Amino acid sequence: MLNLSPSENAFPLSADLTALRLLQLADSALPIGSLAHSFGIESLVAEGILTTGGLAVFFRGYIEEAGMVDAVFCREGWRLGSSSGKFTGGRWREINDFLSALKPARETRAASASLGENFLRAVLACADFPLLGEALGAGTGLDRKSKAIHHSPAFGLACGVLGIGEDSATLAYLHQSIAGLVSACQRLMPLGQRGAMRLVWDLKPAMIQTAERSRACGIDEVFCFMPLLDWGSMEHPALSPRLFIC
Amino acid sequence: MALEVLANTLPRGVTASEPERSRLNGSLDLDFRRGSASGRTALVRSSQIPPLRVVRAFAQEDGAALAHLHNVSGGVLGGDRLVLRAQVGPGACVQITTTGATRIYRPRSDAPVALQINQIVVDEDGLLEYVPDPIIPFAGARFSQRTTIQLAEGAGLFWWEILAPGREACGEIFEYERVELITDVFAAGRRIAAERLRLEPGSGDLGSLARLGDYRYLASFYICRAGLGASAWLAAEEHLREVARGITRPRETVWGISALTADGLAARCLARRGRDAISGLRAIWEAAKLLLYGRQAIPPRKVN
Repeated sequence: MLNLSPSENAFPLSADLTALRLLQLADSALPIGSLAHSFGIESLVAEGILTTGGLAVFFRGYIEEAGMVDAVFCREGWRLGSSSGKFTGGRWREINDFLSALKPARETRAASASLGENFLRAVLACADFPLLGEALGAGTGLDRKSKAIHHSPAFGLACGVLGIGEDSATLAYLHQSIAGLVSACQRLMPLGQRGAMRLVWDLKPAMIQTAERSRACGIDEVFCFMPLLDWGSMEHPALSPRLFIC
Repeated sequence: MALEVLANTLPRGVTASEPERSRLNGSLDLDFRRGSASGRTALVRSSQIPPLRVVRAFAQEDGAALAHLHNVSGGVLGGDRLVLRAQVGPGACVQITTTGATRIYRPRSDAPVALQINQIVVDEDGLLEYVPDPIIPFAGARFSQRTTIQLAEGAGLFWWEILAPGREACGEIFEYERVELITDVFAAGRRIAAERLRLEPGSGDLGSLARLGDYRYLASFYICRAGLGASAWLAAEEHLREVARGITRPRETVWGISALTADGLAARCLARRGRDAISGLRAIWEAAKLLLYGRQAIPPRKVN
């Protein structure tokens, strides 16, 4: 039995319905603020480090590193939300606290947490999903610590609740994440619409490979080496003027 | 968490079934306490299994104890399993450094990965400054370092690591096989920082702009004090960012400073030359210690 509200249970779940829901959840038009963040890329562009010619190589590396972390945490969220999962507030907080600790840059951490919380609110605005409501309400429970619900596990959790397949959810998350960053690049450098489309098109094999590698990787086994982008994110608060929140 | 519990926890990737005969198991257990009468910190207990050694702790002018870590092998060999456990007692102040760079030698082809395990506990209002020389992985080296740091309420930490690209003078640049740096910092029971770095020059382009770009040296510096509020850390971040700006040289050395989830800051350096990373770390350390403790940072006494 899926963790759905009574009204959801009244409509037969079909492959078409889950596919359409996944399209909507991964749409850049989902009102969660994803277009407001460059996750440090703006700093790299401002310093002249990243240019249009280097984007393909940059994004392949990004998918292998940060994309892998996102994919693993997306799957972890999915497994908690799926019908065979055992969601507990404690485990949910643990996952999100660990992901917070893995993000050294304050703005990147805050952006991911903002997207995650907004994402769950957006889904809950569509229908009542008790488990997602519980996830949204779960804070850390510790004094002086702020709530953080990160985007990748929140996306996975919602997909698990909705009966969307784990692999599909992971691939969709990666795709929307990269598409969002490429969109940011269009606003930061002379990257036209066709160039952006071609870039995302060509990165699909890298996304698939990373999604496959993430299948057997637990959150305790994940690695990520992106020091230059970390620097960009850490430096971003001092960037003036800037287009992006992060 | 007590040192005993940490001592019984194997790091990820290490299985109990690995043949012990292929490993040299060295360890260093250090217990530092503050004398209630003198107010000075002393090394009150140590247990040493070679090749790791501490000759003795030296008294610093501010009452802290300084210990130099020796590896009498000269470096880390393939298959070595080296464990450092250090406990900084309540109110104690400790500085730990190395006598020189940590050299990671090329292993025999059948040797297990060389392991360095650091298990650190800083008790209430204690302070640990861990300021070692760089790690230099030789060509073919395979190395994994696992560090777990537990900070009690009021405990402070200055902890850095510098990773060199190899033996530059010999022309060895990113010729090692694999280096892993796995670090977890906990404050009052909550994980505030986690690093999971794996560098494999042979299977991923380290020069990619997604990774190191044109830089060769990587430095990671944690500055923590459990119990300080978020606004204090934001102010510290801004202040240290200004310091970092003064030592940044575009395309040569760049610095990033950012507040952690709580109780501290992370500083990251990418540099083309090791000496720029080292001098920059000292500048940030001096500024941070003055800001957080109202005291001067005292560089460890050794030949450099």
